[in-house]
Amino acid sequence: MRSRDLLVLLALTGTLAACGGSSGGGSVSSGSSPAGSSAGNELVVLPDDLHLQTVDNVVPVINAKAASPKLEEALNKSIAGLTTDDLVGLNKQADVERKTPAAVAKGYFDAKNIGTGLPTGGSGKVVVGAANFSENQILANLFVLALDKAGFSASVKPVTNREVYEPALERGELGVVPEYVGTLTEFLNKKVNGPNATALASSDLQATVTALSGLADKKGLKVLTPAQAADQNAFAVTKNFATANHLTKLSDLKGYSGKLVLGGPPECPTRPFCQPGLEKTYGLKFSSFVSLDAGGPLTKTALKTGKVQLGLVFSSDSSLAQL
Amino acid sequence: MSIVNDTAAWLTDPDHWSGPDGIPHRLVEHLAVSGAAVGIACLIALPIAFVLGHTGRGGGAAVNLSNASRAVPTFALLVLLAATPVGFGNRATVVALTVFAIPPLLTNAYIGVRDVDPEVREAARGMGMTGRQLMRRVELPLALPLVAAGIRTVAVQVVATATLAAYVGGGGLGRLIADGFGRADPAMTAAGGVLVALLALVVELTLAFVQRRVTPGPVRRRVRPLAPPESAVVPPAV
Repeated sequence: MRSRDLLVLLALTGTLAACGGSSGGGSVSSGSSPAGSSAGNELVVLPDDLHLQTVDNVVPVINAKAASPKLEEALNKSIAGLTTDDLVGLNKQADVERKTPAAVAKGYFDAKNIGTGLPTGGSGKVVVGAANFSENQILANLFVLALDKAGFSASVKPVTNREVYEPALERGELGVVPEYVGTLTEFLNKKVNGPNATALASSDLQATVTALSGLADKKGLKVLTPAQAADQNAFAVTKNFATANHLTKLSDLKGYSGKLVLGGPPECPTRPFCQPGLEKTYGLKFSSFVSLDAGGPLTKTALKTGKVQLGLVFSSDSSLAQL
Repeated sequence: MSIVNDTAAWLTDPDHWSGPDGIPHRLVEHLAVSGAAVGIACLIALPIAFVLGHTGRGGGAAVNLSNASRAVPTFALLVLLAATPVGFGNRATVVALTVFAIPPLLTNAYIGVRDVDPEVREAARGMGMTGRQLMRRVELPLALPLVAAGIRTVAVQVVATATLAAYVGGGGLGRLIADGFGRADPAMTAAGGVLVALLALVVELTLAFVQRRVTPGPVRRRVRPLAPPESAVVPPAV
């Protein structure tokens, strides 16, 4: 009986030890990068030379039932003078100087004197949705400031991403969200016309906005006036990786034959301007996809430590160098 | 009812059973992370607990300290680890889960050894056993049921908590839950939840069987099972 107990104990220990040993396999990353790998210090964006991305100007989108002239005027005026350079500067304050999105929005609101020239006399509650990246949160806070000044009672509601907040916007749980023309057009296009619909977004802003308005109408949404500022998906690598593999643009990656891991937010494998777009337009083949965040610190750290070779970032990110 | 149908459809779709995002691969990742955490925690906690239990010194303090460390939220620990060389991903999750797993193992093993009947110990000494022989031939075998109970409890908790890996760039079944949420695919999220629950159940039943086999016959056949002290972590009787 004693030997049987010892055998069972040995088996138990052996199993646990084996479990511990097997964790050294491929699924557990080692973290340290061998020489010549993609780790390095600076991140650079590879230019979108095959024009996968479309016009992604910032635009307020509202639930049509919440529409009123004062609401629309307040929202449109809040971003009327917003340029892409402004956006980069605002992102820098949030990401690098670590100010809160509310503080960054307030700074911009005061500096540009947006308060003067806003309508007054609005009333009622407005819920502004904000996606889970700092730029969208800044824009949402900016909307709230403008709406409050116009007499509404506005508040920010953080929501994760478009897959989650767009249905909420349709249902009226959210009144307004800061959106991006091109990406929203294709999102609604797939929803209205099916997953294989021909693309309606292009590099022509006016045409895309017209298409978007038509689609939005079918979903009970209303698209307001786009700003000059634009922010689209961008893909970054480390400087070392770019130099080692002679990459000057995104299409150069086609000739890369090593392991290519893509990092991005969990919805990237199903979004046309993310993984599927890279595979179709650029012909890239990824060995795997790692679920991180949308252009945030997790993605940037993963790039720098070599956990991923190509990461999704945003074109308005202040900390990225351009090739 | 449709979410039940959708989840069943998701689980029976053959596309979801192949490739790096497929259920088998995620399952293997999940077991690897959980197994590593429990294994390392055993290697750390059990020797310390056995020595403390055998000598009878410092155990109280060790048990209190380890119980206090249970208050550390595992997810917060993961986020903190991201700023250290440990980084994030599966490796960081193993570290955080090991910290999570050590207290119950330590407590149970220590109490298991301490609780050996003093008369048995005296008898063994009387027979001429040295300290080491006492530990190896008397205390460890008698402590085994409680140690196995601790491992069983911890293994189930670790399997359930290893879903956190998905939120810090790791893998495992938690990816089904996290990615399903990010893509607004409730069937995927629910499928992930169901699979984790099933896995925890399988682990529980397997280790319950092992625990039963490891309990010495006379102890197992006792009419009224010996009630473990309140501070021991014990799952329902086998």
